[in-house]
Amino acid sequence: MPDLIDGSENVSVHGILNWIILLFIFSVITVIGNYLGYKHPMTDSLVGMGILSLITLAGVWLERELPLNISSIIYISVFGIVLAYPGMPTSDFVLHYVSQVELLSIVTVFLAYVGIGMGKSWDEFKALGWRAIVITILVIAATYYGAAIVAHIVLVLTGVPAV
Amino acid sequence: MSIPKKGNDGQVEHIYREKTDRRILRKNPWRDYRLHGTVLILVVIAELIGTINIPITKDVVITIMPLIFTIILGLVFYLAKPITWIKRRQARIAEGAMMLFIGVLIAKLAISSGQSLHLIFDMGPALILQELGHLATILILPLALLLGFKEEAIGMTNSIGREPNVAVVVDKYGFNSPESRGVFAIFIIGSVIGTIFISFLVSFSLSFIPLHPYAYAMASGVGSASMNAAAIGPTLAAFPGMETSIEAFAGFSNLLSFCVGIYIVIFIALPLTEKMYKWLEPKIGREYIVKTEEDDENA
Repeated sequence: MPDLIDGSENVSVHGILNWIILLFIFSVITVIGNYLGYKHPMTDSLVGMGILSLITLAGVWLERELPLNISSIIYISVFGIVLAYPGMPTSDFVLHYVSQVELLSIVTVFLAYVGIGMGKSWDEFKALGWRAIVITILVIAATYYGAAIVAHIVLVLTGVPAV
Repeated sequence: MSIPKKGNDGQVEHIYREKTDRRILRKNPWRDYRLHGTVLILVVIAELIGTINIPITKDVVITIMPLIFTIILGLVFYLAKPITWIKRRQARIAEGAMMLFIGVLIAKLAISSGQSLHLIFDMGPALILQELGHLATILILPLALLLGFKEEAIGMTNSIGREPNVAVVVDKYGFNSPESRGVFAIFIIGSVIGTIFISFLVSFSLSFIPLHPYAYAMASGVGSASMNAAAIGPTLAAFPGMETSIEAFAGFSNLLSFCVGIYIVIFIALPLTEKMYKWLEPKIGREYIVKTEEDDENA
C-alpha cells in the first residue's frame, strides 16, 4: 500500500492519539445520548463504548499497517464476531457491557456528524430531488418482494406447511 | 477476502482515505470543540424529543426516531446563516471523524452477529436464502440510470440503504462520492416515507398475492426496526392464530438483514451493482442531472 499521508511517514503516534481522542469524544456523546434515550447506566455503557472503540482502533490501525488490501470494516467485523461468540472467554464480558449501548444511540450521534458533513454537498443533494423518491420506493418494494418470493419458493420446496 | 475497489491500478482505491487520514492525522480534529459541542447539543435535543408516533390509520403509523432529528438538525445547522460556528471547516472535520466512527457502528453490529451466530445455523434454509432475495434491489439500477443518475445509482440500488449499508458504502467510496450521496438520499427518504410506504405495500400485497405466511413474515425483516414493525402489523392481522411464529420469523429475519445483510452487501451486492453499472451505463445512461461536481479538497 502506498504511503497514506503526503510526505513519507507512516501512521504516527500522534495520529493514533488523534484517533483515540476522537473515539473518546464520540463515546462520551453516545453515552450521554444513550442515557437520555434509554436510561442505561452511564459507567456500563462507557465501558461498552470503550470496547467498541478498541475494536475500531485495532481495525483502522491494521488496515494501514498490514500490506493487505482489506478494508478496516472487515477486521472490525471479525474481531467483533470472535469476541462476542458464545463460548469465547471474552463473550460474557463483552456482551454485558456492549449490550448497554443501543445501536440507535450510536447511529444518532453518527448521523449528527453526517448531517453536518452533508451540508457541504447540499446542492448536489437537491439535484437528486423527486427522482430519488421514486428510486427509494422502488428499492423498498424490490427488497420486500425479493425476500418474500425467495422465502416462498424455499418454504414450498422444503414442504413447510402453511399453518 | 478483499473488497473489489474502484479502478484497477491499486492506487485509486484509497484516495478518499488519504484525504480523511490527512484531516484526522494532521489537523488535531478533536480540538474543534465547536463541532463536537454542537453534535452533543443536537444529540441531547434529539433524545429529549424522543420517538414520535403519528398514527395515520389503525395499522399505519409514521415513526420519527431521534436519529432523523440529528441528521436534519445537523444539516440545518450547517445551512442556517445565523449559525456561524458550523461552516466548511467543521463539515470537513465531521466527514473525517465520521469515517472513523463507522468502525464503532460496524463493531456493534459484529458483536450482535457473533452473539446470534448459532441461531443462523439453527434456522431453516428459507430464512438464510431469503436474505439473498434483497439483491432484487439491483434490478432498479436500469431505472435509476434512465432517470439520469450516474454513480449515485450504485449507492441507491445496492440495498435498501439502511444504517449498515450507509456505513459500507461510505467506507468504500468516501464521503464526497456520488455513490455516498445516493445511499444517503435513499437513507433519508426511506427514513421519512419508508415506514408508511411499507405498511401500504404489505396491506396491498396480502390482499392480492397468495404467498406462504412465513414468507410474508420473513420478508418484513428488511433491516429497519420501524419498517419491520410497520410490516408485521398487517401480516399478523391477515393470519390470525399464528402470532408467535410470525413474530419470531419477522424478528429474526430483521436481525439477519441487519448483521448478515451487510456481508451480503459487501461481498455480493456492491460488486454486482458495480458490474451492472459498468455494463449498462454506456448503453442506457442519460444526461447527468447533477450539474456541478465540486472538488473542494484544494479550496
